[in-house]
Amino acid sequence: MRSRMLPRYYLDADIFEREQRKIFHRLWLFAGLKTLLTQHNTFITRKIAGIPIVIQNFHGKLRAFENTCLHRSALIQSEPVGRRPLVCAYHAWRYGENGQVDSIPDCEKNYRFGEKEKCGLKLREFPLEIIGNILFINLDPHPLPLIEQFSIDFLESLKDSSSAYDTEVMVTTWRGNYNWKLAYENLRDANHPRFVHPKSLARIVDFRPNVDEAQLQESLRELQDMTQEGLRQEMRAFSYGGRDTAIENMQQFGWHELVERWGNEDVYYNWLAYPNLHIASANGGHSFTIEHHIPISSGVTDMEVYRFTSRKKRSFAFSNAVLLAEMHGSKLVTGEDVEVMEMVQKGLHHGAPISTQGAYESMNRIIERWYSTVMETEYGV
Amino acid sequence: MVCKWIIGAGEFLDIAFEAWQRAFPEITVKKIIVPQNSKYEFDLSTLQTLSPSDGSAFVAFDERFGNFKRMELMSAVIQLGFKLDSFISPRAIIASNVKIGPNTLISDGTIIGYGSSIEYNSVLMPGVQIGSGTQVRPSCWIEAGVLIGNNVKIGAHCTFRTGVSIRHGLDIGRYCELGWPQCYEKNIAPKTIFDSRYDAPIYTYQN
Repeated sequence: MRSRMLPRYYLDADIFEREQRKIFHRLWLFAGLKTLLTQHNTFITRKIAGIPIVIQNFHGKLRAFENTCLHRSALIQSEPVGRRPLVCAYHAWRYGENGQVDSIPDCEKNYRFGEKEKCGLKLREFPLEIIGNILFINLDPHPLPLIEQFSIDFLESLKDSSSAYDTEVMVTTWRGNYNWKLAYENLRDANHPRFVHPKSLARIVDFRPNVDEAQLQESLRELQDMTQEGLRQEMRAFSYGGRDTAIENMQQFGWHELVERWGNEDVYYNWLAYPNLHIASANGGHSFTIEHHIPISSGVTDMEVYRFTSRKKRSFAFSNAVLLAEMHGSKLVTGEDVEVMEMVQKGLHHGAPISTQGAYESMNRIIERWYSTVMETEYGV
Repeated sequence: MVCKWIIGAGEFLDIAFEAWQRAFPEITVKKIIVPQNSKYEFDLSTLQTLSPSDGSAFVAFDERFGNFKRMELMSAVIQLGFKLDSFISPRAIIASNVKIGPNTLISDGTIIGYGSSIEYNSVLMPGVQIGSGTQVRPSCWIEAGVLIGNNVKIGAHCTFRTGVSIRHGLDIGRYCELGWPQCYEKNIAPKTIFDSRYDAPIYTYQN
C-alpha cells in the first residue's frame, strides 16, 4: 500500500504555513499543567503556534492571554514558570483578570489617554479548557467545542489519569531536525520498538503490532464526508489512549511505595492527543511523561518533555533524583527515536519514493487520508 | 590493630582507597565492597564482620542518584556504630580556619580559601579551587579542576563537572548539577540540571 503522504508534506514551507493555519490555529492544543498554577498569581508562559501566551491564576481562575504588553510589545511575564502579578516590567502597566489594563503609572501626566481609549486596552484572550490537570488552549476566536475534537471517553481517561499527577514537575526541551508528523507516525507504529529500542524500551515492554481488520478496510477507502462536521468526526478517532501493553516482571523501586499509583496494573499506559501531545507511563502508573512536539519549521521540531510521579504520599528528599533518573530514561528512548526520525528527514527530497505501508499501519493511513484532504482542499475543521 | 575501612563500591571506592593508602602508609587501610541488588538497595552483610571499635570508616560511593546513594550508605554505616573520618590530602592547600565535615574527601592539589566551609559527605576531586568565604553544603560532588569563586553558596547535593567555573558571590541552589563546561555567571535555582547530553537546561518546578 502506498502512503498518502507526499515528501513535500515534510519539506515545504507553504505546507508548514497551511498546517499552522488549518490545524494549529484551529484545534485545541496542549498548553501546560494545572499543577503548576495552584496559587493566586502563579503563571506559565509558552509560545504556541508562534504566539507568546501567558496562563495565569487570578484568585483561582485560570486565564490565557497573549503575553505581549499593549504599550511597547515587551513580554509581560518573562519566566517560563513563576508567581507575580500580571505587570509588564518595562513601564509597569498592570493587567487584571479580564486582560484589561488596570493601572498605568502616571497615566494622566505621561500618556493622556482618553477614558474610552484606556477602556479599550485589553489583552487578547484565548479560550482555555481544563481536563483534570491538563490545560488545552485554542487560538481560534471561534473555537470548535472540545468534545468535537476529542471523544468523551478519551477526555474521561485524560481527566482521571491526570488527576493523579504530582505537583513537582521536571521539564526540558529537545530540539530535533525532523518534521513533527514523523514523531506521531512513529508513536503509532508498534512495530518499531524491537528494532529501534532493543536495549531500552523493548527490554521492558514487548510491543507487538496488530492488524485491525475493520480499520484496515476503512483505510483503503477514500474519505467520503469532507464537510466540516465529517472532518471533525473523523478526527475524533485520532486521539486515544489508556492501557496499552502488559509489562511482564515490572521492575520495582523503593520510591514506588512513596507515591499513590494510578491504577493497579503492571502495564504501559499510552495516550495520543491529536495533533501533537503524547503522554505515557512506562511503569504502571507510578510516574508519567508528557511529550509535546512543537513545530518550529518543516524540518525542525521542539519536543518539550515533562516528567513527574503520581501524587506523593508524603514529600521525600530524593524525589528530584527520581525525576532525573526518569528523565534520563526518556532521553535514552526518545533519543533513539529522534535519531531515526532525523535519518528519515535527511533522506526526504521532492522526488523521494512514496512510503510503502503494511496492514498494521492502518491508523496512520486513516490520519494521512484526513491530513492530505485538509492540506490539498479548501475543506477544514 | 586500628583499621581504616574504606566502604563503598565502584571506581570511586578504588580512588578513595588508593588515596588513603598513598597519603597514610603508616595505617592499615582495608577496602570493603558493599554490593547492590536489582532495586539498587545496599547489601550491608559485608559490614557485619567488622567491629566498629576496632577502627574508623570512610564511605566511598560516587555521585549517582544526586549523591543520595552515598548519603544513604553513610547513614547506614553510622547507624551500625562506625565513626567516620574525612580524607584531607597532605598535598591540598587549605587555609587554617576552613571547616571540614566528616566523610569528606579533599584530593591532591585542592585549594580552599580563608573562611570557607566544606560540609559532611562532600567530595572534592584533584585540583579543585575554592575561594574565600565559600560554603559547600553537605553531599556535594565537585570534579577535578572546578573553579569556584569567593563567597559562593552551594546548596546540598550539588554536582559540578570538570570544566565548570563559578563567579564570585553566586548562590547555587540545592540538588543542582552543573555539567556544561562554562563559567556560570548568574544564581541558579534549586534542582536545575545542566547535563551535557541535553541542549537546554532541565528545570524543576513545584507549587
